[in-house]
Amino acid sequence: MQRRILSYLLTLWIVLTVNFLLPRLLPGDPLAALLDPQSSDYVFDAEARAALEAYYGLDRPLPEQYGRYLLGAFTGDLGRSIRLNRPVGELIGAHLPWTLLLTGTALFLASLLALLGGTEAAWRRGSWRDRVLVTAGVVAGNAPVYFVGMMLLILFGAWLGWLPLAGGRTPFAHYDTPLAAAADVGRHLLLPALTLTLALVGAKFLLVRSSVVSVLSEDFMLVLRAKGLSEGRLKWAHALRNALLPFVAHLAAHASMAITGAVFIEALFNYPGMGRLIFEAVGARDYPLIQGVFLVVSTVVLTANLLADWLNARLDPRLRAEQ
Amino acid sequence: MTGAAAANQPVPLLAVRDLRVYFSPAGQDGPPVRAVDAVSFDLADGAALGIVGETASGKTSIARALLGLHPPGSTRGSIRLTGQELVDLLEEEWRPIRWRRVAMAAQSSGSAFDPLYRLGEQIAEPLRAHLGLAGREAQERVEALARRVGLEPRHLRAYPHQLSGGEKQRAMLAMALCCGPELLVLDEPTSGQDVLSRARLIDLLDQIRQESGAGLLLISHDLAAVARLTGRVAVLYAGKLVEVGPTAAVLAHPRHPYTWGLLNAYPNMTTARDLRGIRGRLPDPADPPPGCRFHPRCTQAVERCRHEEPPLALAGDRLVACHLGGLQTLLRADGLRKVFSGHGRPGPEEERVEAVREASLELLEGEVVALVGETGSGKTTLGRLLVGLLQADGGRVVFEGQDLAAASGRQRKALQRRIQLVAQDPFDAVSPRLTVAEIVREPLDVQKVGPAAEREEKVRRALQAVGLPVDPAFLTRRAHELSGGQLQRVAIARALVLDPKLIVADEPVSMLDASEQAKLINLLKEIQNERGMGLLLISHDLALVRKVADRIVVMRDGEIVEEGLAGRVVAQPRHPYTRALLEAAPAFAWEDVEERDEGGVILEKQSVIPAQAGIHPE
Repeated sequence: MQRRILSYLLTLWIVLTVNFLLPRLLPGDPLAALLDPQSSDYVFDAEARAALEAYYGLDRPLPEQYGRYLLGAFTGDLGRSIRLNRPVGELIGAHLPWTLLLTGTALFLASLLALLGGTEAAWRRGSWRDRVLVTAGVVAGNAPVYFVGMMLLILFGAWLGWLPLAGGRTPFAHYDTPLAAAADVGRHLLLPALTLTLALVGAKFLLVRSSVVSVLSEDFMLVLRAKGLSEGRLKWAHALRNALLPFVAHLAAHASMAITGAVFIEALFNYPGMGRLIFEAVGARDYPLIQGVFLVVSTVVLTANLLADWLNARLDPRLRAEQ
Repeated sequence: MTGAAAANQPVPLLAVRDLRVYFSPAGQDGPPVRAVDAVSFDLADGAALGIVGETASGKTSIARALLGLHPPGSTRGSIRLTGQELVDLLEEEWRPIRWRRVAMAAQSSGSAFDPLYRLGEQIAEPLRAHLGLAGREAQERVEALARRVGLEPRHLRAYPHQLSGGEKQRAMLAMALCCGPELLVLDEPTSGQDVLSRARLIDLLDQIRQESGAGLLLISHDLAAVARLTGRVAVLYAGKLVEVGPTAAVLAHPRHPYTWGLLNAYPNMTTARDLRGIRGRLPDPADPPPGCRFHPRCTQAVERCRHEEPPLALAGDRLVACHLGGLQTLLRADGLRKVFSGHGRPGPEEERVEAVREASLELLEGEVVALVGETGSGKTTLGRLLVGLLQADGGRVVFEGQDLAAASGRQRKALQRRIQLVAQDPFDAVSPRLTVAEIVREPLDVQKVGPAAEREEKVRRALQAVGLPVDPAFLTRRAHELSGGQLQRVAIARALVLDPKLIVADEPVSMLDASEQAKLINLLKEIQNERGMGLLLISHDLALVRKVADRIVVMRDGEIVEEGLAGRVVAQPRHPYTRALLEAAPAFAWEDVEERDEGGVILEKQSVIPAQAGIHPE
């Protein structure tokens, strides 16, 4: 495990360095447009201009810039957003929890559905139920997120009026109890989370199904059946348990997809998460913000991978032995 | 089985009738493949039955059928466990039978355990499922089982990947025993184990068999394990039973040609002979040959075998599925006598030499028999009597059921095509002026076989079979231009060209050097195996012929003094003369060789004891 953590630290350093070098490899000075009064992108705010110059310190030697940058990254000083004129760290701090809530909920729901449905479908492979589930999985996996989201919005938000149309919570609301606050957040979360769940569940379902199918053909499954164990024990304690290993690896690899998938959904539902921040940052060519967001997303994905490795080692005694 | 018959007999633990297992062919449509076809057997309480056969003969399919592990509808026929019908039970109905009443130690124990659970947990699983045991009670039971199979608590705490194959096999056994089953199915329990773990495992299985009182079904290609553990054995070939009988009797005197081939292919410390597989290969289960499934590989197949499936019929102490009733005797000699008087002319009594006295021998289909004795023992005379070159003064020779002496002229000619002699000295046997092509073609010309082109083709094939070139340059060479080894090969080709059923080879390699001898004797054996002929090898060299012979017949002074399976005769000779022959066989005195090894002068004192030494002259 220690070696693994070390290798992740190394990966993180490479990500940070690429993030540092990328704008500097672009032709011309990335700040030229912002600092040139003739340019349409000229930053009129003198204070912001000064902060930008100070942060980038482009007149200083490269190693010193690099050192300052690394130090900044670790202390949470990610520079200042040009458009919003606020420290990038602060912006991310305000948006990240919403995204984690949204993607976390969706990932959890999608995984649960995929594990249950995938195992059942694999157990009855070839039956009509299996075929219906596989078709549904393929359709859900390939349907455009914004279309699905739009339909849900129209149905539940506009037409039936059961759920709010946009936002992370009711603006200017005051809650009497934390429970009421949670209920409001939950009501706002429901539609975007459902949309993201639908977008994620297809691929996961197909993966679980094929993993379980391959476990079912293993010799030990035949022996377990011969032992006269109940169907439930065979299905869940052995077949699914073995299929969890590839699933967890897949989850980690798709953590980034979950976050980027959230970009569309957050934009659609005007959800106050990282996705909307990325959307706005890209739209306004807000480089410091884009860089900051990139860093945080990378770190989240790396952390997810580290977690998956740890989890897989917990799940598989063969991996535990190696470490 | 009729109701009345069933009422009179005690209900056996397991009664399998007309069991068929079907598989749908993978990836393609088509008729289902029959992996097991019309298999019937009984297993009494506490008895042990072995099912043997090659890989993919359907053994494992039978084991799985007994636990209902095939997809629904693919098992037909009847499986009765103490009278209860098991075929077509629903999955839920199977559950209380599995492991509680019928348990299995599966093949490939390496992958028989879930890699994610400790062995102890997996052994305890059926205890909870069937006996409702959990916690401490289950734990104690598992530990007791583990001790019984020779495992320690640390093995129970281990995961499957942390244990060796032998340990997993033992754990598998402990698991199979955990619910005290009535029937224990062991599927290849010894495969993939090294010899020592295998021996220990067989000991353990034997002990368990005696202690548990469970019926034992041992499915294996390990004949030694089957011999040790079972009282009855059933031989399975391509999904069908071909021979069923008492284990000791079947293994000692196989009746079905397949059983015989299987035994011959089985490595054993008491066999000196090199191993040969059964010729050909197992048929494709999707497209089994018509008639008897073994006929393409059988050396004695007749026309009927190609069309009609033989039933499993009672023959003495066992059941055999063969139209011919089992292994046929190709050649039998009864009380053969030959007396030479003077120089072949009638003369005074005292000049009479009894060259062969009351000699009887048998040669089975596809068998290699070595007739061994020193010069002057009468073996060459016996050989000539057998092929009909000499007239016997008494007794008779029966070849393929036909008395040689009683055969009419035309029958004799036909018989002569089927028995060929390869003489000791090829320089004697062929005219030195003839070309290679002429020598080999001569028997065809004499027998007037087919048109010229066909004869040429047969000559070419016979020469190819003995590993000789077939280019015009070689075909036009004359006998005196060939080396001894080449000429002997030409002589063998000449014998092969008529597709004989039996070759009598009289000292076929004695004129050659050691390396050429080894090559030629192996070639003979290979051709014999490939063509399924009988081979009577007449030789003074016991050390050489035991490498290829199935049986050895020892002759001395015109009398047969000992006869038996090659391994037995070599390992435990009964007659003093056989012992003398064996002791006199060439052997390096290794002490002498090795003593000098350090000095580097090895070859100087390699003392080779000549073959004849130690036998007093007759």
